[in-house]
Amino acid sequence: MKDLTRIRNFCIIAHIDHGKSTLADRLIEFTGTVSKRDMQEQILDSMELEREKGITIKLAPTRLVYDYNGTEYILNLIDTPGHVDFTYEVSRSLAACEGALLLVDASQGVEAQTLANTYLALDSNLEIVPVINKIDLPSARVGEVKQEIEDVIGLDTENCPCISAKDGINIEDVLKSIVEKIPAPKGSENEKLKCLIFDSHYDNFKGAICLVRVFDGTVKAGDKILMMQTGKVFDVTEVGIFVPTTKQTDSLSAGDVGYIAASIKTISDVKVGDTVTSFENPIEMPLAGYKTVQPVVFCGIFPVDGAKYGELKDSLEKLKLNDASLQFSPENSTALGYGFRCGFLGLLHLEIITERLEREFDLDIITTAPSVSYNVYKTNGDMLEISNPSNLPPAVEIERIEEPIVKVNIFTPPEYVGSIMELCQNKRGVYKDLQYLDKNRVELKYVLPLGEIIYDFFDSLKSRTKGYASFDYDMAGFERADLVKVDLLLNGEKCDALSLIVHKDNAYNRGRELTEKLKKIIPRQLFEVPIQACIGGKIIARETISALRKDVLAKCYGGDVTRKRKLLEKQKEGKKRMRKIGSVEIPSEAFMSILKLDEDK
Amino acid sequence: MQEISIYVHIPFCERKCNYCAFASFCGTQEQIENYIDVLCREIEKRKCDKLVKTIYIGGGTPSILNEEQIERIVKTIYQNFNVDKSAEFTIEANPNSITENLLKKWKELRVNRVSIGVQSLCDKSLKKIGRLHDKKTAIEKIKLTRKYFDNVSADLIVGLENETGKDLCKNAKALLELGIKHISCYLLEIYENTKIYQMIKMGQYRPLDDDTTIESFNKLANYLIDSGMERYEISNFCYPGYESKHNLNYWKRGEYLGFGLGAHSFENEERYYNLANFADYEQEKRKTEHLTDKEKIEEIIMLGLRCKIGVNLDKILSMGYDLQENEYYKDYIKQGILIEKDKNVYLNQTFYHISNTIISNLLP
Repeated sequence: MKDLTRIRNFCIIAHIDHGKSTLADRLIEFTGTVSKRDMQEQILDSMELEREKGITIKLAPTRLVYDYNGTEYILNLIDTPGHVDFTYEVSRSLAACEGALLLVDASQGVEAQTLANTYLALDSNLEIVPVINKIDLPSARVGEVKQEIEDVIGLDTENCPCISAKDGINIEDVLKSIVEKIPAPKGSENEKLKCLIFDSHYDNFKGAICLVRVFDGTVKAGDKILMMQTGKVFDVTEVGIFVPTTKQTDSLSAGDVGYIAASIKTISDVKVGDTVTSFENPIEMPLAGYKTVQPVVFCGIFPVDGAKYGELKDSLEKLKLNDASLQFSPENSTALGYGFRCGFLGLLHLEIITERLEREFDLDIITTAPSVSYNVYKTNGDMLEISNPSNLPPAVEIERIEEPIVKVNIFTPPEYVGSIMELCQNKRGVYKDLQYLDKNRVELKYVLPLGEIIYDFFDSLKSRTKGYASFDYDMAGFERADLVKVDLLLNGEKCDALSLIVHKDNAYNRGRELTEKLKKIIPRQLFEVPIQACIGGKIIARETISALRKDVLAKCYGGDVTRKRKLLEKQKEGKKRMRKIGSVEIPSEAFMSILKLDEDK
Repeated sequence: MQEISIYVHIPFCERKCNYCAFASFCGTQEQIENYIDVLCREIEKRKCDKLVKTIYIGGGTPSILNEEQIERIVKTIYQNFNVDKSAEFTIEANPNSITENLLKKWKELRVNRVSIGVQSLCDKSLKKIGRLHDKKTAIEKIKLTRKYFDNVSADLIVGLENETGKDLCKNAKALLELGIKHISCYLLEIYENTKIYQMIKMGQYRPLDDDTTIESFNKLANYLIDSGMERYEISNFCYPGYESKHNLNYWKRGEYLGFGLGAHSFENEERYYNLANFADYEQEKRKTEHLTDKEKIEEIIMLGLRCKIGVNLDKILSMGYDLQENEYYKDYIKQGILIEKDKNVYLNQTFYHISNTIISNLLP
């Protein structure tokens, strides 16, 4: 009989960069879960991309064994992502836990995501244990930050662990707090089986793997399980735990965090948030599960080599298996051929998916400029949801367009308030509120069009505040706006993949910036190529790429024909990353360039 | 009887030009003698009974070899090869090393074509690029050469500082008046390991920009054509009948043997070359490249479109490549970039200056 009082299921929540993954590493190291020899920085961030960007994207659980006053405790840690795009994944982790460590940087204090994640944890009725990190920094201000947590969040910081995850200071305080403050799981292994799938991934040998938290009952190899939402039935082939690599066990029972493999071949049969129960002896009501998240940022993804369409489709399907928030549907562009319109939680999510496609699936892809989804009301009464600018109906058929808006919370030192207000103003923001949290920290509230945020808001905010400001946003419905479609003509031919929807007041500037940018990116062609931006039939900006002038081998290298041939072969090879629009060849980067218009300025 | 060409490389110069990125040396007499020993041994070893239609002694600067040295090399060729009575025999020369005795010796050795590295007739330019001659010497030596040889070619470089179309045409005019029959016009190329690269970096030299270079080249080309010359290859112009048969053989993919340091050969559809450092060369180290069918087709297109030979569509079709089905082909015909005539296709000379893009797009 297992003693549930000796299990703790917890996660760590924090603002990005506050040291979550480092703390996870220290906990693993301290409890001896992974030998020093196998220890590599940021163990739970197994994706190459995660380590590189220093962020956590996917959930990675691990089991720690901790000896507390002579009693062995099993601590299941479920790592969570910290970036604003991945709020959804955070809430998935939270549902599998009874408590959360709230990690706060001793020099940065409470940030936008600290607050956002705390609210999520409170919503899930989790016990929250504040932990102050980075006390080794000269700029650490432990006392002030403690006060901030008490004032802004309302958590008691008396006796809270003050640590340096980097230097391994006071790590045991954290482990003690977990045992002392976080409640043990409830439930019983004698009840009917009830598990929550909080994540999944695909294994080429074992099929789809479900990462589960068992709330009641027991599951073992040979059991018949029922997925309550999809109604599918499977025979369990293997169960196990994470240490943090997978380790097969005889069974999983109430309170446990682990995995179930059941030779699930079809990726879509595993739905994250679904409840797993026994087929023979099912429970009646499934767990609450998760609300399906709606993507807010969209872009087209096309294979550079048109023949790789099938591969791109397979890869997207595999990514979707453990990233339910990724959406995609087939799309056809005259410029780029067959591809997919994909929906993402935010720009970082977009960036990560495209990079994973290129690295993990070895695909060469072209992404078009990101867009939001507009509600377009036509004069005939129809309403269309348009996320691809080239699908916008002609202006005469449009009665009005509504764009998604968001409520934005910005945390900043007071000296940047003016600059941030100016930025928000430029981005068509509406001022809502300004509050001093303490003398070092101001919370600004604005309502902004989402389309402006995905454009370059984050980068501008960072550069205007030297990286000191943080922000978080929530969707806040749709509002009518005066929007127009700007089309791009290359040598007189419309390039659908370069169209964008912008506010009327910004159209001329964007049109000009875009033509200037394309002039820089598109190499000289055999003939002069005009680049024009237009609204409807009206040209609003024009640049000209002059004809290619010098591209010749005018030297006699005796009989060295090979060298010449190789040079030309190389030149031909370079063409593979080019797309032909009419007779104009443009490099694939051009399609993303719209996004980065401001960077050069 | 099978025909072949011979190329002999002389890697020595009196002085390295500022723009030169080749392996060339200011050799001592001892090094030169030693090189000729190895060279002659190579010629003997590689003898064959094919009919030699052209001989080309290039460099470097072959004219720094004295009468006895050049004689030794040429005699070795004659002793080991079957050289056609009417073979074209070219030697490259720098104006300042040309002497009357040398010219007489060349004549005696049946040299019948001299290619002179004039490069420019502007004294300022010549000095900046590190040439040893000036305009006056160049003109004198051309006159002297012309006394002995009818078929004299001159090289010009386009892209030199302050030398635009007008200057180039003036220089060309002077050359034609001296009886030059063939002019090769090369574009100045800047390589990192050259003195001129450093000079440019330090602001001591300013070559023409790309646009001006091409504009100047085209002016020169038009002038030469108006003067009755034909542009039979991207960089080569001549009066009718004065084409370099040796170079045409390269472009027609005829066979050739290259003797000397780093020299390239082409035999039985195989390309091979001597290594470019002396120790390797002395040990007869060579690299061979077997051409795939695709590479053969690439060569035919690349070489054919560079010159008036053109590309025979049926020939490459029989090798498995239908050029007319290439995605660019129809557009190029429509735009007048390519000219199709009796199953042969040619590159319009107006587009020679951007031929790399065009040719690379047409490769299989």
